[in-house]
Amino acid sequence: MKRLFRRFVKAPLSFLLIIIVFSLSLTRLPFRVSAGDEASSAIGEADNALRRAFEAVLDAERAGANVSNLIFKLNEAGRLLAEAENAYKMGKFSEAISKAEGCSVLANGVVGEALSLKSSALAAAQTAFWQNLTFSCFGGLAFLVALFFVWGRFKRAYAKKLLRMKPEVASDAED
Amino acid sequence: MLKIEDYKVVFASVGLIGILLFASPTLGLVLRLPSGEKFSELWVLGPGHMAEDYPFNVRAGVNYLVYVGVGNHMGSSAYYVVYVKFRNQTESLPNATAGTPSPLPPLFEFRLFVEDGKSWEAPLRFSFSNVSFSENRSFVGGLMINGVTFNVDKSGSWDVENNGYYYQLFMELWMYNVESRAFEFHNRFVGLWLNMTG
Repeated sequence: MKRLFRRFVKAPLSFLLIIIVFSLSLTRLPFRVSAGDEASSAIGEADNALRRAFEAVLDAERAGANVSNLIFKLNEAGRLLAEAENAYKMGKFSEAISKAEGCSVLANGVVGEALSLKSSALAAAQTAFWQNLTFSCFGGLAFLVALFFVWGRFKRAYAKKLLRMKPEVASDAED
Repeated sequence: MLKIEDYKVVFASVGLIGILLFASPTLGLVLRLPSGEKFSELWVLGPGHMAEDYPFNVRAGVNYLVYVGVGNHMGSSAYYVVYVKFRNQTESLPNATAGTPSPLPPLFEFRLFVEDGKSWEAPLRFSFSNVSFSENRSFVGGLMINGVTFNVDKSGSWDVENNGYYYQLFMELWMYNVESRAFEFHNRFVGLWLNMTG
């Protein structure tokens, strides 16, 4: 009876168990690989988003915008990306994905803000340029006119003074 | 008494100076004066934010703290990455003359953005695990940096000259180049010599 049990129940059961364990390990392997791939691609996207955001902030800064607030947000996004990279190295793929996605969201938000800051900074710079140009032109012109007026008065005064001096020179000559 | 021609020169000079003064706000917007030398700073400070009390004799299971800092004098905001690397005495450091980084893979990284003329500082906490010694050799299995554990598996031999098992924790500064759209080694690195003790 025992032999029969071993032959018809225990041996196939063990075989079945081995098959199940083997197939489970096979199904788990692709899952791990795909989670790793997903994390890697999420990190890549976040990295690109952060680069684009920085370039947009740099453009806004060159246009004369105050980008301190955006730099603060970029640092927050950069911290998330670094944490995602560190989590990826440790094999914590789901954590890496969530941190990378958080970074992408922040970075994309920064791009929008940077673009609007840039356009308002450009408009402000243009206004400032025209104001300064108007001040320079009109101010310079007014100054020149005033200077010519003063020069004319001065010349007349100088000529009068010279005329007044002549008789004294003549009297000196007679002496 | 001065001649009228001399007064003419005085008036012309005053006129020229006045014109330049009135034009200066517009010229300031148009003309770009050459800026000073562009450079970045990278530093490591001890636990008291001073250049002292750096960890030196280290052992497993003890937490050590230093501060890493970066200063930006590049004339505009910059995007930096600080890579933290760990080496034994035989592995290579960055080459400052050639401007090449160390070939060792980075363990930990900081990503940071710094405005021109400003600086950034962050704590770097580290500890060692799985440290063992045998026959004039030491072995370091794990290094934890800011809560993240890395398997480093480094071995170092006894330094006869300096009496110790020396390792180095060092940081490299990389900067994002907008033109090439890639990170480039910025030829700045700092390191901490660590003597592994039992």
